[in-house]
Amino acid sequence: MDCREFCDQHLAFVDDTLAGIELVRMQRHILECEACASHDAKIRRALLLFRNLPSIEPSADFSQRLEARLRTCQNDNLFVTTQPNLRRSAIAATVASAIMLAYIGSTLFHSDAPRDLVMSPVVATVPEPELTPITTSTPAIVASVSAGLTIWPAALFAEQVPVRFAHSSLELANYTR
Amino acid sequence: MADIVRKQKVSVEGATVRERLQAMDDSAVVTAFLGGEERAFSELVTRYQTRLLNFVYRTIGDREKAEDLVQEVFIRVYRHLHRFDRSKKFSTWVYTIASNLAKNELRNRSRNPLVLFQTVQKNFQDEDRPLQFEDTTSRPDDMYRKRHLREIVEETVAKLPEHHRNVFILRELEGKSYEEIAEITDCNLGTVKSRLNRARNSFAEIIAPYVD
Repeated sequence: MDCREFCDQHLAFVDDTLAGIELVRMQRHILECEACASHDAKIRRALLLFRNLPSIEPSADFSQRLEARLRTCQNDNLFVTTQPNLRRSAIAATVASAIMLAYIGSTLFHSDAPRDLVMSPVVATVPEPELTPITTSTPAIVASVSAGLTIWPAALFAEQVPVRFAHSSLELANYTR
Repeated sequence: MADIVRKQKVSVEGATVRERLQAMDDSAVVTAFLGGEERAFSELVTRYQTRLLNFVYRTIGDREKAEDLVQEVFIRVYRHLHRFDRSKKFSTWVYTIASNLAKNELRNRSRNPLVLFQTVQKNFQDEDRPLQFEDTTSRPDDMYRKRHLREIVEETVAKLPEHHRNVFILRELEGKSYEEIAEITDCNLGTVKSRLNRARNSFAEIIAPYVD
């Protein structure tokens, strides 16, 4: 190991963070090199001096002053936590009233202006074909139909009898011609 | 009678809570405070006030201002503890706040040429010196030598560049790891090691004539 390498590794050497083999090499170098040994001793002695500086203690009223400041801080915190809610509701109320005013203003402003007549579109539809109403026969005819048939077909049949007869008599006339 | 019993009960409960808090690690105390236990904050103050005061005092060199700054650290901790990332070390966070405040103080001072570190050091009255520094069993010339030496050490630390001094104090006085120092000072590990090495060499170089 040379002196340059020793200086590079010296931080870890003092802090005891070197791996075993490196540590041995550093220790061996100190035994061999007087300059590096002196440098090492100088650093260690200086650090020892600094580390042994007497500790200073907080003054007697330190805690009291801190408590007073913390109390103020607590009050501020309370104020700060309630403040955003108030602010938020105030903003919401302002926005709502602004929208309302804008709406009222626009309706008042535009009330006199001529408006185009807007009518609902006309949709033309084909009229549904008129269905021929089913005329029911008189109760007397319905009642006269035999009990073996259902009532309504029988009633319809009875209703169409003259037509069918007329039709068949026409056909007969055609055949005879 | 009932009142006395009630008072005794409350004090016993308070004492148990305090004892329980003392037995907890920082993270658990923080959790207790966030859970509504106000006494947990006092426990944090008790744990850190002296350490922070020494750190800030060694960094800025003004005891009175150091106390103010430490109080400011605790106020900030109180205000922002709910935002603290509990996956990290509480001590690192506290030291980061203290380091930033000390840095700001030094920056403000450098803008005002009337207030200098050396001036503050000289204004430090004899009565303010901690009693434990004096060893009454020593002879007067020993005491004088010790006091003189302490002054020299403090002045030597004050002579180090600010970023070197900060790293030096965190390592040598507070015993922080390189990683923690890197986090507190917002530097990478290499920078921390290099600054520390330079600070040690400079400090040893300045102090050597007085020690030999």
